Order: sequence, then C-alpha cells, then structure tokens
Amino acid sequence: MEDDSDYEDSYVASDVEDYPTSEDGDYGYDPQTEPEISMRRAAYTVLSEEELKLRQQEALQQVMQVLSISEGEAVRVLRHCKWDVNRVNEEWFADTEALRDKIGLVDEQPTGSGRRKESCGICFDEFWVSEMHAAPCNHSFCRGCWKGYVHTAISGGPAVLSLRCPLPDCSAAVPAALVTAVSDPKHREKYHLYSLRSFVEDNQRLEWCPAPGCENAVEALHEVSNEAMDVTCRCGSSFCFNCKEEAHRPVDCETVKKWIIKNSAESENLNWILANTKPCPKCKRPIEKNQGCMHMSCSQCKHEFCWLCLASWQEHGERTGGFYNCNKYESAKKRGDYDAESLKREHARVSLQRYMHYYQRWAENDRARSQALSSKAEANDKKLEVLSEFVATPTSQLKFILDAWAQVVECRRILKWTYAYGYYRFGDNIPDEDTAQKQQQGFFEFNQGQAEMFLEKLNGVVEKDLDNLVEEFKREPGLSEVAPDGSVFVDQASSPERQAVWSKFREQLIGLTEVTRMHFVKLVQELEKGLDQLLAFYSEQPEAEAEAEVEPAAVSTAEASGSATPAQQATAKAPKRSKRSRISSRAAADKASNSAAAFSLQEADSELEAEAGYWQCRRCTVINRDLNSQSCSMCAQNRRGPISAS
Amino acid sequence: MAQFPGRSPTSVAMRRIQAELNEWLLHPPEGCRLESFEPLLNWVILVQGPENSPAPGLPRLYDGELFRLAINFGDHYPLEPPEVLFVPPSPVHPHIYSNGHICLDILYDGRNGGWSPALTVNKIALSLRSMLASNTNKARPAGDMDYCQRTRGRSPKQTNWEFDDDKV
Ligand SMILES: [Zn+2]
Ligand SMILES: [Zn+2]
Ligand SMILES: [Zn+2]
Ligand SMILES: [Zn+2]
Ligand SMILES: [Zn+2]
Ligand SMILES: [Zn+2]
Ligand SMILES: [Zn+2]
Repeated sequence: MEDDSDYEDSYVASDVEDYPTSEDGDYGYDPQTEPEISMRRAAYTVLSEEELKLRQQEALQQVMQVLSISEGEAVRVLRHCKWDVNRVNEEWFADTEALRDKIGLVDEQPTGSGRRKESCGICFDEFWVSEMHAAPCNHSFCRGCWKGYVHTAISGGPAVLSLRCPLPDCSAAVPAALVTAVSDPKHREKYHLYSLRSFVEDNQRLEWCPAPGCENAVEALHEVSNEAMDVTCRCGSSFCFNCKEEAHRPVDCETVKKWIIKNSAESENLNWILANTKPCPKCKRPIEKNQGCMHMSCSQCKHEFCWLCLASWQEHGERTGGFYNCNKYESAKKRGDYDAESLKREHARVSLQRYMHYYQRWAENDRARSQALSSKAEANDKKLEVLSEFVATPTSQLKFILDAWAQVVECRRILKWTYAYGYYRFGDNIPDEDTAQKQQQGFFEFNQGQAEMFLEKLNGVVEKDLDNLVEEFKREPGLSEVAPDGSVFVDQASSPERQAVWSKFREQLIGLTEVTRMHFVKLVQELEKGLDQLLAFYSEQPEAEAEAEVEPAAVSTAEASGSATPAQQATAKAPKRSKRSRISSRAAADKASNSAAAFSLQEADSELEAEAGYWQCRRCTVINRDLNSQSCSMCAQNRRGPISAS
Repeated sequence: MAQFPGRSPTSVAMRRIQAELNEWLLHPPEGCRLESFEPLLNWVILVQGPENSPAPGLPRLYDGELFRLAINFGDHYPLEPPEVLFVPPSPVHPHIYSNGHICLDILYDGRNGGWSPALTVNKIALSLRSMLASNTNKARPAGDMDYCQRTRGRSPKQTNWEFDDDKV
C-alpha cells in the first residue's frame, strides 16, 4: 500500500497502515482496527463533479508548468497519456517531437497581416483575415464555418476531443479554447462534459459510480490492480472498482463474471425457482414469502419451515445442536446401475440439481437483500417514529435498529456471493480420496453455515420479532393514572414493564448484530486468505505441539454432549492462550475421513468474544458479560455445548 | 457576438455549391465532365476510365470505359459529406460494389470517416480517378452480392464502413 497522505479529504474504507501484511499466518481478529467486514482494504475517495473538475485542473496546471506548454496542449498530452501525469513526463522527455507529432501539436505559425482578405476554405466567401480563426497551423476559416465544424463534431460525440484542423491532410489539433470560443452555450457545455468524462473514463484510477442518476466518481488512491475492490459511493451504492458489477467481495471478479454468464444461459430453467409462494410442506396451503428472513411459519397449521430447503425449522440447526446444514450441498445419490446413455442423463440431472442448489441460495439472498434495503428505508421513514412513542425513547437512540438492518443488507450480499464461490470452488462430485478438497469444502460449509444461521436469526429478530413487539405495544392497555383534575392519564410507554421488555430486546438485537458481523468477518477473511493456505497452515503445525496444547475442557465438552455437532465430533483442539488454532495433521486426516471435516472454531470464537467483551448465548441470544462463565445467565445454556431443547 | 446574416445551413450549402460549380466550369478536373447539375443539389459526372496503367508493363484496366458518378448534396453540406455513388454499371474494383457504393474514407464522416468540409466535389472526382488508376486487381469486393442484397434501397452513408487499406 502506498502513502496517501497527499489526500487529506479522502475517506479510506479502513485504516490501510494497520493491515497486517506479514506472511506469518496470524489470523487474529482485531475489531478495533477492522471495522469493515471486507479484509483487503481499498483506499479510495469519492469525488463530486466539482471536485473532479478541480482534480482535472490540478493535473493540467502541473503538466503546463513542467513541460512549459499551453493549456490546450496539456489537455491533448494528458488525454493521450490517460491522464497519468507520470506517463506524460516519461513520454514527453523520451521523444518530444514524436509525441507532438502523434497528437497533432504544431508550432504556432505566424499570422499574416490582418488588413487583408482571404477566402474561407469551407464556404468560399471572402473575409478579413482578422475576422477568421485558425488552429496553431494557421489554416484560417471564417467564424461561421468554424462554428458549424465544431458543432457538427460535438454532436458526433466524444471524438470531438481529438478534433483536427478542417483542412484535409493537416493534422493540427484544434485547441479547446478555439472550440469553446466559437460554440454556443449548449454545445460548449456538452464539450466540457466530454472533457470531464474523458478525465474519468481514460483514467485508470477513476471510475464513475454506476448508480443511476449519481454523478460522483471514485478515485483509487493506489496503483490499480485487476483484483476485486469494493467501494461505496457517497450515494450509498457499492460496486466493484475493477469489474463494475455490484460489490462482491470476498469473491473474485472472474467468478462473478462466470456466474452471471451461467445464470443468463440457464435463465429458462430458473424462473420457477424464484416463486413467491410455495405450498406449506405440512398442510400444503400456499404460503407467500413477503419478508427477507428464510424462517417461514404457516399461518394455518403453524408449521415452521425453511423457505430454501422446505425442511422443518426445528431440524435446521438452531435447536438441534447448533450446526446449520441448509447451505450444504448433498450430492444426489446414484440410483443403481446405469448403461452409458442413462449414465449421461443421470450426470446432467445431478449437475443441474447441484447448480440449482447454489443458484437458489444466491438468488434468494439477493432478494432478501433488496427486501432488507427497503425495510431499512421504511424503518427510517416511519417505523422508528411510531416506535419512539411506544417506548418513550427519542429516535436518535433507536439507531441500532437501522444498524441491524444495514448489517443484514451487507451480510446478505456477502452470503449471496459465497454461493457463487462454493459452486465453482468445489466440483460436482469430490472423490473420497481427495481428502484435501473434502476438508476444504467441509471447512467452508461449516463457516458459511454458522454465518448464515446467525444472519437468519438477526433478520428474524429485526423483522418479525420487532413487528410482533410493536403489535403487542399497540394492544397493551398499560398504566392508567387518575390525574388530579379527574382525567385519566395513560402512560404505557414509560411503564417499567415495557422499559424492561424494550431494553431486553434492544440488548438482544445489538448483540446479535455484532455477533453476526463477526461471523461474516471470519468468513470473508477465510475466503480471502484462501482455504487451502489456511488449512495447510493448520495441518502443518507439529503434532506434538498441537497435542500438548489441547485444552482439556474443550475435549470434555465434546465428549459430554450426546448429540455432538460435526464440529465437535471432529475432536476439537483449542489451545489455551495460543494466538491461533492448531490442529495436528493426524487430527486433520481424521476429520477428513469423518467426511464432515469441520474444524473447531472455538478458539476463534473465544478471540472474537474477548474483543467484544461479552459472549452471546446461542439459545436465548442474551448478552453475557462474564467472559469466564460457561453457562448463560438467562437460560443456563452451556456456552459451548449443543443447544438444549426449550 | 457578431451574427452572420443569411447563414442558415441551406443558404450556406447553396452558396458553396454555386461556388464549386463556377470553379468546376472554369477548371474541370482531368477526365471528368459534368453531365447535369439540375437541380443544383444533384450532380451527375461522367468519369472516363484512366487511360494509363498503374505501372509500366501492367494492363490498363479501365481504358475506354465511361462511368456515371452521382453527387447528391444535403442541407448540411459541406459540414456533412454529399452522398457519392456510381450509377450502375459501376467500375469493377475491390472497393466498389456493383450497386455503386464506394468504400473510400473521405466520402464519409462519423467514427472512421475522413470527410473534411474543406474537401470539394472536384477533389472527390480526382480521388476516385486515382483510385481506379492505381488498381491492379479488377474484381468486386468480397461479399458483393450479399452487401447489395442487404443495402437495397439504402444510401451508402448508412453503411458502417471499415476502411482497412484505402490505397489499392
Ligand atoms: Zn467560411
Ligand atoms: Zn491546419
Ligand atoms: Zn454514487
Ligand atoms: Zn469485481
Ligand atoms: Zn401449513
Ligand atoms: Zn433450509
Ligand atoms: Zn441463554
């Protein structure tokens, strides 16, 4: 990363200097220095139209001074060199004549005496020379013809920026000053617009914000590589600086491109998958999905199920030991023996099914993200006001609800792209012998599942739970007092009961927002570091050292649990105060043969919790401030154990 | 800012065309004769096939042939080029289609075009004659039939030209 101290007014997505560039494999999390989920930091600044004009002027002044040339010439040179001032200096001093020739800079030719008439080469009428105009080549044309020539060129598009003298075979550049002197205000404005666009579009470090109606540009503050770089414009829209698609970290641009092409190629097969209604898996009545959360409940039979896989929500991780499975792709089982032809058909069926699995989750998360965006706007517009009266709290102190929504929006986006990642990263059918791939897939799916589980929880709380709470407040009769004048004064809002309910909700939502964020930080970090490197690092640790560092408590937890999660089956080894998880290669191989291949992330969890200063109950989500306690102060749920039935 | 009396595009065009006509009648380009200029916006020029060969020893490809060139001026002439095409039968040339459309950059404006308002019909006629004079391969462009099918009833100015080698 470069020093960007020249740019005082820049906002840098997060602190560049603190980014650990060391190769020592330290995966410690440090929320203090990493406020953003995305790990590879982008240093950039957002520029308005006015600021862009200033930047352009700065570049011009610099080149004019260094090369001692006119502004008109500086524009040409800079445009030729893609507005890169360093490149201008290089090319100019390498071969000034060749460069001047190439871009049509000619030495100013002497003008004849003004008191002489000459025929204009376009209209063939005679004019006083003093009334005519010429580029530095001094081929004169009358003002009217110049105007027509320039207007025609401006109407023809941005190529007007390279306009040459009208005389055939003369390649002299027409200076911007001449163009603007002869054109009318409407055309002049268009010309300035082209000029500004060229400044942005030819410049490697600048990109327009692609949001419709937004006129800002984003400037990268360092050498641009062709790697993904998420940026957020002042208008609120996020996009990838490199490929202009919507922001897609931690997935690379190539995967995104492939995925988008794949989706449009398959679009005919996909329409049905994004239905708005699905029959309830139990009573078969149609259930409409009109919210973002995937946790559905049937209004008729009260059956709770997952919108994505239609399995009962109870079997969906939350109450069965904390291991979330819905994200995992289970390859379809082969059905008996096949001849060559039906084998081919079977392959096609399986590969379509696999694609559908990933596509559905990608698309549903995309949809949930849009829903979250509009819910956030809705909350901002009116919901907070209503709520503010119900709980006697100024809206300024209800901002945590907007924060929760913002977190949902961001996490939906990340989660969505991890499905495109998963589709390409792991093949149709990984052979059992390929333990490395199996391990990586297990590791990825476990962490994706954890992140997804918390996101669904967060989404449900800020969406349904909050709505239910508001409904409850509406119905509640609350406290009544008889005022001295005999009128009945009702103040439900500040009743201690309501305040208690409200503060519990508040604490839960804030905690859940933070925990969800941390899970996504972890997921993004892993994908950006690369699963293979991460796992190689884990398994390279010397066996003896790893065994010595096994924390007895962690093992006993796993043993004690009747319905251990795959994570715990995988012989969790959490070193006590070591900075990172260490897993022996033998343990890694064991896990691979277990095929679940999920790794204990307890160590990482402890670090996250230590940073946050609390741990959150996995069952009732209450915030526990005592970092040393192992059971929830609210519901006595074991801190690391499987989630017990309610 | 000074206004220019009588400068609507049409009057500029008419005065310029009149001026070119006067010049042509005084000094017609070699091998060319103005057959008709009625109305003033539509000229027909008779072009003689060049009698010399491109180089000593090479055959004279168009000697004795006579072609008709149609020039149709628009309101925005000379800021926009006139429509220029041969009246079939057109010369057999790798850059001239049988429907008379000519692939020559100076005849077109826009993205690849080389038109300049300082060009004249006189210079266009001379360029076309030298294009014939320098040719060594008396053949139609590739895809001639197909092109003529596709552009039936259309002006050559509507074609998206790519000018690869403009000197044949
Ligand atoms: Zn003029
Ligand atoms: Zn010139
Ligand atoms: Zn924007
Ligand atoms: Zn990208
Ligand atoms: Zn039902
Ligand atoms: Zn599910
Ligand atoms: Zn609890």
